[in-house]
Amino acid sequence: MLRPIALTACLILIAASDSRKDLVRGDASAAQARVKPAATAEVRPATVEQILAAVREPGSKSVLVNVWATWCVPCREEFPDLLRLRNTYRVRGLKLVLVSADLDDQLDDTKRFLARQRVDFVTYLKQGDDMRFIQTMDRRWSGALPATFLYDDQRRLRYFREGRTSYAVLEKELRKILIPNKPSKEDAS
Amino acid sequence: MKLALLSCVSILALTAASPARAEDAANEPLVIGATAPLTSVKMKGVDGSELAIADVAGPKGTLVIFSCNACPYAKAWEARIVKIGNTSPKRGVGVIVINPNDPARVAEDGYEVMQRRADQRGMRYPYVVDATSEVARAFGATRTPEAFLFDRDGRLVYHGAVDDNTKEAEVKARYLAQALNSVIAGKKIAMAETKSIGCSIKFRKKA
Repeated sequence: MLRPIALTACLILIAASDSRKDLVRGDASAAQARVKPAATAEVRPATVEQILAAVREPGSKSVLVNVWATWCVPCREEFPDLLRLRNTYRVRGLKLVLVSADLDDQLDDTKRFLARQRVDFVTYLKQGDDMRFIQTMDRRWSGALPATFLYDDQRRLRYFREGRTSYAVLEKELRKILIPNKPSKEDAS
Repeated sequence: MKLALLSCVSILALTAASPARAEDAANEPLVIGATAPLTSVKMKGVDGSELAIADVAGPKGTLVIFSCNACPYAKAWEARIVKIGNTSPKRGVGVIVINPNDPARVAEDGYEVMQRRADQRGMRYPYVVDATSEVARAFGATRTPEAFLFDRDGRLVYHGAVDDNTKEAEVKARYLAQALNSVIAGKKIAMAETKSIGCSIKFRKKA
């Protein structure tokens, strides 16, 4: 039922974007402004200890860690949801820690992807032994990507997910941390 | 245009995937001591033959590896997998490498690419298609590459990574090679379970 509606919406959107492209065609500066990445993210090599130190830094009420890679399809699919969650909840105390598991020779790809996603905050590139990294983060994690970890204000791990998650699920878990006495939107509905 | 297309792909992916989320999940992984499931399911190899895990079982053990063409981690470990795959049968351990990924999600995991890769990399062991992803599900495999080694009695004795580093020059612990040495010698395996980062398996939807 949803797919035909989505398909129709997409066709309309593509047509609209094509006509808008026609409008700006010939305007080189406008075209450059559209394709030029708006942000440059710092990608800091980090061991699991350094990642956990970033998690423990004071100043936030909840920390969301996401281990991802540029070549990982479900990681790319969920990436906009993570950024939207950060944009919505940063003022209420959410910190997002992105950890790329790309291989060292893929650093340029990582930076390009982050720039396209308009990530303008410090992110990390996983270093060190895989097994130690995985087991230290959480023993339930098999090593498959993506992996998501949500910590509360005491830095207790409150939610773990291996594989793609969603905005709705993360928001529900986050609201349990940020607003512990109030039901989440989903619970109330 | 590109942005609109990307948005649409995402929207369609979401609408397609949302009712089937549970199907994406792997089962619990096999525990040490378990026997291999679905050993008689025939899978198409790159040479066109149909092979089951039972068909490759060796007198001293059987090595099942879930791997693929596209994953950079599978690629990083590929030369080491080929070496182990080509040499283990002579030592009494049968080998089968299984690609469980849905090529509809990752085109590079298609059958023809598997054939080319097997040829280019000199794979002399069966590289087969798990056409329903059910074998991977039954093993509880989650990622590529992921190895399962069974002893001569068909019991799982090792599950996990090939070794401890994607960069071969920096490897300190050759987990799978050591496990193979032990299983061939009939000795207990020192490190029976290991982990490595890997690409999540792109499971086909259940029929």
